[in-house]
Amino acid sequence: MIGLQHYLVVSAILFVMGVFGIFLNRKNVIIILMAIELILLSVNINLVAFSAYLGDLVGQVFAMFVLTVAAGEAAIGLAILVIYFRGRGTIAVDDINRMKG
Amino acid sequence: MSMTASLALTVPELILSVGALLLLLVAAFGGDGFARAIGWGAVALFAAAGFALTGPAGNGGPGFDGLYIADSFAAFAKLLIYIAAAVSVAVAPGFFARTGGGYRAEYPVLILLSGVGMGMMVSAGDLLTLYVGLELQSLSAYVLASFLRRDTRSAEAGLKYFVLGALASGILLYGISLLYGFTGTTLFAGISDSLAKGMGTGQMFGMVFVFAGLAFKISAVPFHMWTPDVYEGAPTPVTAFFASAPKVAGMALLLRVAIEAMGSGTDAWRQIVVFAALASTILGAVAAIGQTSMKRLLAYSSINNVGFALFGLAAGSAEGVAATMTYMAVYIAMTLGSFICVLQMRDRDGQPVETIASLSGLSRSRPGLAAAFAIFMFSLAGIPPLFGFWPKFLVFDALVRAGFWPLAMVGIATSVIGAFYYLKIVKTIYFDDPAPTPFAPAASKLEGGLITLAALAVSPLGYLAIPLLDATSMAAARALF
Amino acid sequence: MASVAAGYLPILLFLGVALVLSSAFVFLPMLVGRLTGTHQPNPEKLAEYECGFPAFEDSRAQFDVRFYLIAILFIIFDLEAAFLYPWAVSLGGIGFVGWLSMMIFLVELAVGFIYAWKKGALEWE
Repeated sequence: MIGLQHYLVVSAILFVMGVFGIFLNRKNVIIILMAIELILLSVNINLVAFSAYLGDLVGQVFAMFVLTVAAGEAAIGLAILVIYFRGRGTIAVDDINRMKG
Repeated sequence: MSMTASLALTVPELILSVGALLLLLVAAFGGDGFARAIGWGAVALFAAAGFALTGPAGNGGPGFDGLYIADSFAAFAKLLIYIAAAVSVAVAPGFFARTGGGYRAEYPVLILLSGVGMGMMVSAGDLLTLYVGLELQSLSAYVLASFLRRDTRSAEAGLKYFVLGALASGILLYGISLLYGFTGTTLFAGISDSLAKGMGTGQMFGMVFVFAGLAFKISAVPFHMWTPDVYEGAPTPVTAFFASAPKVAGMALLLRVAIEAMGSGTDAWRQIVVFAALASTILGAVAAIGQTSMKRLLAYSSINNVGFALFGLAAGSAEGVAATMTYMAVYIAMTLGSFICVLQMRDRDGQPVETIASLSGLSRSRPGLAAAFAIFMFSLAGIPPLFGFWPKFLVFDALVRAGFWPLAMVGIATSVIGAFYYLKIVKTIYFDDPAPTPFAPAASKLEGGLITLAALAVSPLGYLAIPLLDATSMAAARALF
Repeated sequence: MASVAAGYLPILLFLGVALVLSSAFVFLPMLVGRLTGTHQPNPEKLAEYECGFPAFEDSRAQFDVRFYLIAILFIIFDLEAAFLYPWAVSLGGIGFVGWLSMMIFLVELAVGFIYAWKKGALEWE
């Protein structure tokens, strides 16, 4: 039987993968956007699993809000990425270094 | 409570959001020719929202089944937020006009929407309201940071802010999901009841993640790494905004979550807050010493000041919370004043200059500006005759009263380290040889007036406001306990 | 662990059935085409269907920034519609206030749409 803890473990693995995806990736900012999405979706798994476990709808409502905010976040991230690319001609993570200190 | 009664509590947010939508339509149909008019419209909307706080929105209690709380704490924080946001709208057109255009009608609209988000943050009574408000504020802020589309530094600031901000929201959200799962509710009151029965591992993890996410939003160490880069790259009026309004909103939100939702777990979060406060004050002071850019220096100064404000929360008492709110009130006067002074730093062509070295000998070329700079620096350092000393005193007084006098001693010691670099700037302004290229003369009466106003507020005259400030901040703090 | 594996058995079966059916749908038409003699490839038939990129080229090739703009607008307006489904299902229970809230939400979306339209974000050229 698949219980609550299985969902929590999957969600925790996805969350950690997302966080590492942001910090270990040196190639491309688009991959960072995907990692952020992975983090938000791992949270959604958590919320829906808890919601089903507790028999409480709040978690599912929360998951809907997370989905829409994630969409807005992806849109704004892409928009900033486009203006960054227009200015610099690259989206490699190692090149984001105009300011240091 | 009926729907209309609940809606009456949210009048400031309604004014701001409806106004923002209307101004957005004006911007779409009128184009950038209306940009200045839209800016003044936004300032008027902030004034109207501030005025609406005198009604039920100022002290009406919880609404929407506890999702939203309109108490005197929220009203105090909102007043500070609206003032800071209105100032950063008012000073923007001059800056963009001098640096070769780029001012667009979207700027005031984005600040208005951010204002709605910040209002939701400080009035949140539920994790859902908290999250939606925080995201509305953050998403507007990401766009504002990269507002100068042709400037690669601005775009880079936006990108960095976005990536790290989204990571912080993810961490906060993971904590929220754990708190929801292990307490069974997202209402602050319900979480508090559940934690009172004992804190399990799940709740503990949730709490730590939530605090980490919120620490990012107020740029407390160890989640401060974005601050200097974003402050340096973003256009100066936007930086002034970042350093003031969202800081107040984030701090107020942290206070509310810590006291209202997790008040029964004070001993568990106090360690986190003490660590963040000490690390912020020390790192903010030490890392600022080697900086050459004024904007980066003010970024470290804001990290340092957030650390001091957190000492009030560490006390965990009503006096401590009141001291933190007083700190934020004085802090926005100091920080807005400093950033408007930075706006005056520009060469003959109107291009902004940001190096500290360019300030040398300012006392001879621009004595008025030099005096204002000196007042803000002394006040940020917390040197007694100036008003910046008073909130630091209140914070440490609250710590001592709560029995944490060793912590207060360490905190006072770190404020001495911090004083060093503020004094270095005053020395550059007053005792160094004049810089080869003096600044362009003052261009705007508005900016001059705002600097004078802020300087008067943090001058010793500020002590006249103590009775009023004490009464309102105490009333605000009591609303949480 | 055996019980966990047993719990996933339906999913395994489902995947197997899906694999068989989907490959049948791909290969059957090809087979039928060859058997009935309608298999006559020409460049027009092999070209990309209607629009889009050539399917086989360097994956690092850059493509037009305008696609991103469309993608950005699509994400927003697409996912906001996710609120409409639960609202429609529960409309009987949430009454006039629920109906009005969604109308206000749609008006806000419309304002965003008007803004995007006036700013020329929907024009390809």
